[in-house]
Amino acid sequence: MHATKEFNKKGFFKQFLLGLRISKSFTTNPISIEQRKNSIKLSSDLAMAFARGRTHWTRALISKLGGKEENTTMLKGIMGRRYGILMAIYSYPLPHQKVQRGKKIVRSYRFCSGANKRRALKGSCNRVSPSIVARNLVNRRTKVLKRLVPGGELLNGSSLLSETLDYVISLKAQVDMMKSLWKATQISSSRNVELDPSASCQGRKLLMLANSKDEFQLFKKS
Amino acid sequence: MSSRRSRISDDEINELISKLQSLLPESRRRGSNRASATKLLKETCTYIKSLQQEVDDLSDRLSDLMAGMDDNSVQADIIRSLLSS
Repeated sequence: MHATKEFNKKGFFKQFLLGLRISKSFTTNPISIEQRKNSIKLSSDLAMAFARGRTHWTRALISKLGGKEENTTMLKGIMGRRYGILMAIYSYPLPHQKVQRGKKIVRSYRFCSGANKRRALKGSCNRVSPSIVARNLVNRRTKVLKRLVPGGELLNGSSLLSETLDYVISLKAQVDMMKSLWKATQISSSRNVELDPSASCQGRKLLMLANSKDEFQLFKKS
Repeated sequence: MSSRRSRISDDEINELISKLQSLLPESRRRGSNRASATKLLKETCTYIKSLQQEVDDLSDRLSDLMAGMDDNSVQADIIRSLLSS
């Protein structure tokens, strides 16, 4: 798990910086706090997804974010010439994977109303057993989880579990990295340090060293 | 639930469940066998929601701090946080 975090860091910050740059380049000044917050959040989410690589949930997330009209410019900036190809690779879901609404769950939930539950717990009703109550609760909670995890609605059972695990790990890494960035920004803005030009050169070298996997070659600073 | 038992064994499912449980903040206090499926699901959902809320929150705070910053300062901060963690 620690190894994953190490990998994520460099890739994440690279993508994050790229996203911030792009959003800066196409927005006009003065930018509202709301807009800046949205572009930071978008950069962060995209950075997390791209740094993680191609899993089910990253594809779903990138596809969902890329589908929004206002985000296309940002994604085109990040992906460059390969925008079309990458959006196809990350496309989700396939037409035959349309989501089926769970009618079964609704029926059994209505069947298991509050009165029935109470009777079942008292043990005096033989219509609804506690195991059915428990199963319905699991179903409802699973439904909520499916909505939370990107792409979760098409998964079941162990796939849903493993995607959830992966997603939680990435979310936690994202939060940690943003926290450390915030701390560093706080320190620098309170100190109000004057930067020397060599510092930014070092920064560029560091970022280019990060992550030489094929897929991310196209994200190199030109 | 899963009809693909031939590909994913019960052991692997148990491993997934225990890994997930070890990530959740509350369950570290209790023994690993205490949680039921519903409890695990509920805590996972709560945890994911709180993490997503934290990301939103941090984006807010970062946008405040980065208000007047130029590119080099942002880059320097990013490098500093990379090196410090």
